[in-house]
Amino acid sequence: MAAKKACESFSKSLIEDVHKWGCMKQTGVSLRYMMEFGSKPTDRNLLISGQFLHKELPIRIARRAIELDTLPYGLSEKPAILKVRDWYLDSFRDLRSFPEIKDINDEKEFTQMIKAIKVRHNNVVPAMALGVQQLKKGMDPKIVYEDLDEIHQFLDRFYLSRIRIRMLIGQHVELHKPNPAPHVVGYIHTKMSPVEVAKNASEAARAICLREYGSAPDINIYGDPRFTFPYVPTHLQLMVFELVKNSLRAVQELFMYSDKVAPPVRIIVAEGIEDVTIKISDEGGGIKRSGLPKIFTYLYSTAKNPLDEYTDLGTDDRITMAGYGYGIPISRLYAKYFGGDLQVISMEGYGTDAYLHLSRLGDSQEPLP
Amino acid sequence: MAAKKASESFSKTLIEEVHKWGCMKQTGVSLRYMMEFGSKPTERNMLISGQFLHKELPIRIARRAIELESLPYGLSEKPAVLKVRDWYLDSFRDLRSFPEIKDTNDEREFTQMIKAIKVRHNNVVPMMALGVQQLKKGMDPKIVYEDLDEIHQFLDRFYMSRIGIRMLIGQHVELHNPNPPLHCVGYIHTKMSPVEVAQNASEDARCICLREYGSAPEVNIYGDPKFTFPYVPTHLHLMVFELVKNSLRAVQERYMDSDRVVPPIRIIVADGIEDVTIKVSDEGGGIPRSGLPKIFTYLYSTARNPLDEHSDLGTADTVTMAGYGYGLPISRLYARYFGGDLQIISMEGYGTDAYLHLSRLGDSQEPLP
Repeated sequence: MAAKKACESFSKSLIEDVHKWGCMKQTGVSLRYMMEFGSKPTDRNLLISGQFLHKELPIRIARRAIELDTLPYGLSEKPAILKVRDWYLDSFRDLRSFPEIKDINDEKEFTQMIKAIKVRHNNVVPAMALGVQQLKKGMDPKIVYEDLDEIHQFLDRFYLSRIRIRMLIGQHVELHKPNPAPHVVGYIHTKMSPVEVAKNASEAARAICLREYGSAPDINIYGDPRFTFPYVPTHLQLMVFELVKNSLRAVQELFMYSDKVAPPVRIIVAEGIEDVTIKISDEGGGIKRSGLPKIFTYLYSTAKNPLDEYTDLGTDDRITMAGYGYGIPISRLYAKYFGGDLQVISMEGYGTDAYLHLSRLGDSQEPLP
Repeated sequence: MAAKKASESFSKTLIEEVHKWGCMKQTGVSLRYMMEFGSKPTERNMLISGQFLHKELPIRIARRAIELESLPYGLSEKPAVLKVRDWYLDSFRDLRSFPEIKDTNDEREFTQMIKAIKVRHNNVVPMMALGVQQLKKGMDPKIVYEDLDEIHQFLDRFYMSRIGIRMLIGQHVELHNPNPPLHCVGYIHTKMSPVEVAQNASEDARCICLREYGSAPEVNIYGDPKFTFPYVPTHLHLMVFELVKNSLRAVQERYMDSDRVVPPIRIIVADGIEDVTIKVSDEGGGIPRSGLPKIFTYLYSTARNPLDEHSDLGTADTVTMAGYGYGLPISRLYARYFGGDLQIISMEGYGTDAYLHLSRLGDSQEPLP
C-alpha cells in the first residue's frame, strides 16, 4: 500500500533532489534529429546519447512526480495515483544514483537500467485511469466530469510527457540492436508506407470486432501503397487502430439488427507537402455536436469500463472494442507529438470523419509540457 | 466626401444620443420565437413588433456606429469606412426622430422607414471590404495581415450584428405581405427542404463556374429530398452557394489542363436530433494545414480582387468565382447566427470537406456582439 506522503517512503534528500531537477529546463528533440543521429549508431554516438539521457530523463521524470503530488480534487491521494507516483520516484532514484557514464561499458549498463525503467512504467495509463475512476466514485454525481478541465489538462501534459520519455528511451535501446531491419533507425522507419500500416491496423481492428460481435464491416483503403515517408510505425498503427476500432463499433451497433448491408469504413491516405493526412470515415450514425467535446476527455466512455478496483493491473493486455475511454485523447497526443494533429467531425444521424494529420517536415521540436 | 469626425456633419445632441443608446442592453430573439410570433401577423402583433424594433434597432445601430469610430490601425479614417459610419448615423437619426408608434397607420409608416434603412445599408459588405483594402495599401507590406486579430474580431462582430439587424427588419417587413407563400413565416420557411436548397445553390454555383471556365464539375447530392425543417432558405442558399463555388473552383483549376476524369463535388445532407448537417466535399487538391486559418480571415483571398478604388459601388451585383475573400467568414456567421457552425477540414494533396451544422432546435438566442 503506497504511503500517502512521498516523504514517508523516500528520503528527504531524494525529495529535495526531485524538486531541484523538476525545475530544470527540458531539452526537446525533433524526429529529424533522432533520425540523423540514430543513422550512425557508433559507440561514440551511443555514449553521447546515454550521457544526454542521463541528464534529461531525471528532469522530465521529476516534473511529473511533482505534479502527481499536487493534483486537484484529491486525485493525488487515490491509491492508484500513489502507486504511479512511487514508480516515478523509484525511476528518478535509479537515474540519479547511476554513476557518471564514462565508457561504453557504463553506457551498456545504463541502457539496461532505462530499459527496466520503461518496463516498470508499462501500466501507467490503466493505473491513472483507475485513479480517475476512484475519484469519480467518491465525487458528487451532479458534478459534470467533462468540466473538470484542470484534470484533463494535467492528463494531457502527463501522457504527452510519457510518450516522449518512452520514445527517447525506446529509441536509445533500439539503436543497440546489432541487425536492424533495412531503412529503420530505432523506432523510426525512414520509408514507412502509411497505406500498409493502415491495412495492418485495420485488420487488427476487424479481428477484434469479429471476436466481439461475430461480424465486422468492410474497410476500404484508398491511397498509393508505394508512397513512403519517415515516421514511427507503432505510433501510426496505434492511432489508426483506435480510430478504425471506434468506426467499426459504431457501424456494427447501428446495423447489427438491420437487414441493410453495413456500409464500409473508408480510409483515404493523402500526401501533401506539409502533411500526410489519413481520413477515416464511417456511416455509423454520427455523434451529436453537443457530445463531441466529450470524446476527447479522459473521464468519458460510452462503454462498460473493464477496469474496477479489483482488477489486477499486472500484465492483462486484452484489448476490447471499447475501454476506459482513452483511445481518442491519447491518439491525439501521439499525433501532436511530431507536429501533427487529430480532428474528429461528425454528422449527427449519418457518420463520423476522423482526420489524422502527420507532419512530413520532421523538424517539429517535441512539444514539451 | 465624408467628414472625418462625425461631429462635423452631425449635431452634438445626436452624437450624445448615439453614445447613450450604444450602452443600452440588446435583446435577442430566437428562430423559434420569430416563427411563433410571426405565425399570427395580426395588427396588434405588428404594432407590438414595430414598437419593439423602434426601441431595439437604435441600440444595435448605435453600438456599431460607436465601434466604427474607434477602429485600430487608422481603419476608422479610411474613406469607405467613413461612408459606412455615416449610413449608420443617418439610420440612427431616422429611427430616433420617428414619433411614438400609436396605431396601425404609424406602424405602416415605420415599416416603410425601416425598409428604406435596409436598402441604404445594402452595400455595407463591399464598402467595408474596400475600406480594409485601403488600409492594406497604406500599410507596411511586411505586416502579416492575418495577424491583425483585432480587425478580424471587429469585423466578425460587425457583420454578425448586421445579419441580426437585417433579419429583424426583413422579418417585420415580410410579415406585411398579404399573400405569403405556403408554410412561410416572413423569411422563415417552416418546411424547408435542405436537399432542395442545396440543389438550387449548386446549380447557381455551376452556372458561374461554366461562365468563367467554360466547364464545370458535377455536383452529386445525397439525402432525403422529403426531409424538411424550419430555417431561413436565403441564408442556407448563401452558405451552400459559397462552399460549392469554392469547391468547383478548386477542382476546376486542378483538372482544367488534365485528361483525367474530373471528380464530382459531393454533398451529403444528414438529419440528426440536434442538428441538420450538410457536408460539401471536393477533391480539389486541398489546403495546407498551415494555410487553413487564413481562409476565415477578412483580409485574404487567393484570387484577383475584383474591387478597387475606382469601382462603382452602385448596383453592380455580378458575382464572380472568387471575390474579396469574404464568402467563408460570412457564411460561418450565418451558420452561427441560429446556433449552428461551419467547419472546414482539408487533406493537403487530396481535397477539402466543409461541414455546415444547422441547429434544429431553434431555441438559440441570436448572438448579440
